[in-house]
Amino acid sequence: MSFPCRYWQFLFASAVGVVLTAFSAAAADSPAQAAAKADKILRSEVPYANPAKVAPTRIDDERFLRRASLDTLGRLPTPEEVTAFALDPSGDKRTKLVDKLLANSQFGENWGRYWRDVIMYRKTEERAGIVMGALESYLTASFNANKPWSDIATDFITASGDATENGACALIMAQQGQPEETVAEVSRIFLGVQIQCAQCHDHPTDRWKREQFHELAAFFPRVASQLRPQTQTFSVVVNDEPRAFGGRGPMNQRRQGTPEHFMSDPKNPQSQGKLMQPVFFATGEKVPLGTRDSERRGSLAKWTTKKDNPYFAKAFVNRMWSELTGEGFYEPIDDIGPDRSCTAPHTLDYLAGQFADSGYDIKWLFRTIMAGELYQLPSSAPRGSEDPHMQHNVVQRLRADQLFDNLLVALEASEPPPLGGPGGPGGLYGRGRGPRQQFTTAFGYDPSERRDEIAHSIPQALTMMNSPIIAQALRGNGRTMLARLIGEIKDDKALTQELYLRVLGREPSSSELETATRYVKTVGVRTEAFEDLLWGLVNSAEFLHRT
Amino acid sequence: MSHTVHIQSSVTIRRGQLHRRDFLRAIPAAAAAAGVLSWSDLMSVRAADLRKSGKACILLWMQGAPSQFETFDPKPGHANGGETKAIKTSVSGIEIAENLPQVAKAMGDLCVIRSMNSREGQHPRATYLMHTGYLPSAAVKYPTLGSIVAKELGNPASDLPSFVRIGNSRFSDGAGLLGVDYDPLVMPAAGRPPENTSLASPEPRFQRRLGLLEQMQTDYANHGGKQAVSDHQKVYAQAAKLVLSPKMQRFDISQEPQAAKDAYGSSQFGQGCLLARRLIETGVTFVEVSLGNWDTHQDNFNRTRTLCEQLDQPYAALLADLKQRGMLGSTLVVWMGEFGRTPRINPSSGRDHYPRAFSAVLAGGGVKGGQVIGATDAGGDNVQGKPVGVNDMLRTICHSLGIDAKKENMSSVGRPIKIVDGGEVVSQVFS
Repeated sequence: MSFPCRYWQFLFASAVGVVLTAFSAAAADSPAQAAAKADKILRSEVPYANPAKVAPTRIDDERFLRRASLDTLGRLPTPEEVTAFALDPSGDKRTKLVDKLLANSQFGENWGRYWRDVIMYRKTEERAGIVMGALESYLTASFNANKPWSDIATDFITASGDATENGACALIMAQQGQPEETVAEVSRIFLGVQIQCAQCHDHPTDRWKREQFHELAAFFPRVASQLRPQTQTFSVVVNDEPRAFGGRGPMNQRRQGTPEHFMSDPKNPQSQGKLMQPVFFATGEKVPLGTRDSERRGSLAKWTTKKDNPYFAKAFVNRMWSELTGEGFYEPIDDIGPDRSCTAPHTLDYLAGQFADSGYDIKWLFRTIMAGELYQLPSSAPRGSEDPHMQHNVVQRLRADQLFDNLLVALEASEPPPLGGPGGPGGLYGRGRGPRQQFTTAFGYDPSERRDEIAHSIPQALTMMNSPIIAQALRGNGRTMLARLIGEIKDDKALTQELYLRVLGREPSSSELETATRYVKTVGVRTEAFEDLLWGLVNSAEFLHRT
Repeated sequence: MSHTVHIQSSVTIRRGQLHRRDFLRAIPAAAAAAGVLSWSDLMSVRAADLRKSGKACILLWMQGAPSQFETFDPKPGHANGGETKAIKTSVSGIEIAENLPQVAKAMGDLCVIRSMNSREGQHPRATYLMHTGYLPSAAVKYPTLGSIVAKELGNPASDLPSFVRIGNSRFSDGAGLLGVDYDPLVMPAAGRPPENTSLASPEPRFQRRLGLLEQMQTDYANHGGKQAVSDHQKVYAQAAKLVLSPKMQRFDISQEPQAAKDAYGSSQFGQGCLLARRLIETGVTFVEVSLGNWDTHQDNFNRTRTLCEQLDQPYAALLADLKQRGMLGSTLVVWMGEFGRTPRINPSSGRDHYPRAFSAVLAGGGVKGGQVIGATDAGGDNVQGKPVGVNDMLRTICHSLGIDAKKENMSSVGRPIKIVDGGEVVSQVFS
């Protein structure tokens, strides 16, 4: 023949390659299929405990819209959105709604803030506030572009450069570039393994040995977080030079990376300690001593995100499942090590496998969980320790940012800029003391903490009750939303309905309408009564929660 | 079952309510059946003990690290001492810097420790270390001293919070793993009421609003929100109790007689010290009052002198006031910063950070006054003899307040955290 055999072989191999690639990219089931399969497996592991042993009725469309909006965008639906969804006749309107919400840029903002808090609440660097803006920008853009979770993890693990420009540096910078603290966070956040307890001694209850912790730290010794006083920025810098000492400054601060990591000897703390080779506990893989930083951290990132890493996919699925349904397969949500007990392990295995097959597609996971049955069940209080698992969705506290945004929208207030700009006064240590920051100080919490342990506090109650800024926005006179509505809507019932819609995203029930009408009559002064009603709405437990 | 008892002693009690999930998680059913002390028994025993104790603590926090050479460890005969002279105090043989004449007269009540020593010389880490006894960690949110004391000694049924912090609270952190109930009530300044405690509307309307709120919540409570509403109502009731309590008046120092106001002076720190005494008198357990910024890298002598002028009168007045009211025996007064300052004077007439040797001062709470513990060498470069570390200081504070420093609290992942890890009580402080 006129063409060489090898050319046909090459064509054939390429064609097969293309077909195979197409298959593996589509290897995950569709969200609807995966949701149905997961439901089946879940109920075989955790059957319904009610006497009839059947699924409770799913929530109505109105509730679904509220829950889905809060879970994806972090805000309540607008009155227009409520009406539009109610009038939509299509059979698959919930699926279409979820698609629409995930395409909204507020999705990235909301979940960017969530992960910002996951990282920042554990900071040991007090000046980490300075890189929060860059971190948030990076996360927002990544979630909106639906960047695979494996790529995001890789970015954080291998980051370097100016932390005020490259948001992925924030994880390292927030831990002052210290190898031990950094890998403890990498393990907790991306693998759900709390290996840091083995830092000083073999883990008291888990299987981790001290060596394993320090073998993990050995991936990061060449990294440091340096302050540039002139530009008031921090940079994550890499030192591959074979100097013996990285150098701690006179004030015990870590100035530069060292070529290798040493595990200190508790019997002889002044000595350098034992030289550690980088070994990854999760897969057993290692790199030799002397490896350059880019290959150390690059390898760690690769092994962290590979499909047969037993923890990576599970950690993310566990966390998202817990955030959306109120109960994790493992609890606390960032503690899924091999010595922990798991509710419905086959369900988690299935979803984690699918998530990995999807290419760690975050929006795929959202679609799947939100198409599932458990997500759409009525919500109730978190389960008591004797109660059966995963019987319903769970009422959950909203985050400080979400509350603040809902408040702004409900009261039609615009956000005043923080004093002194985003960095705030006081340079490195100062943060803007605007209303959002004050609100976050009162209402903020670490998203990885057990949600049922986020206690409502007196400063929070005092803020909502008495804050002069909120009181100002609640007034029925002047240029406020309430003043305008009081003028426009003359009927008390209609005005009450409008306020409920704006603040709680729903219409009042007939008994709630009755309470309001009675109250207006008792008070006698319309403006005053409605100021009180609006105060009641923003001070309600419902306003603070996603139901 | 020692394991059970261990867990019992460290389960959190939030605001006098038993936190059901903690309890059920910690105690195996078998142990409960085996007749271990019931919770109500345990609660009533503890409450009685707590109220009996009556001990309190005032922490005067010198933010930015005050120079020991210009305060409690002057070196007038040495080049390192710079221009600062020493003065006699009311105790023969003890001299302090000329910047603190009133405090010098009160030396009979003071125990000066000149042998403080630490390795941390960065403000955030050192401040955190001084307040918690630990270095910052991503895994554990260590509680600050005031939160620990509030939990151990505070009265959960009290109207007022057990821990109040007046002034700048940078890096000193909060209750951490102990939970928000032990966070401080923060007051940026003593002259103004605590944030958001001034009612937004007159009291009758406020009460009316609370009544309306309760009615409005019934529907939500019946549709899945029962727990949320119940917790919410409880906290709102407590918050309302706080702002409506006649004890809120205690935050208003304008109610003090003029003589008292004059004794403390009108400076912010003076007002803070006066408020601290008022609050302790009412039953608040721990008040932290901060004065700063002592970080004198430049112009050390003038700036420190100015700061000492702000410190001198109120510190002496506080001691005299507590003594006169018979409160000094049960109130520990701690004076300290995060580290000291360099013996070497830099080209800007300043002193830089120096954790290797610095001073702290204790008074009241059973402390034997009129003594100096430890010393630095002639140039103030090193501690002579045995240094007092951060955890030694914290153990000593615990000892004065009757707190068991070895007691453990649980981190969020179930790791036991001692109140103070290691360290030794400096017994000379009390003998």
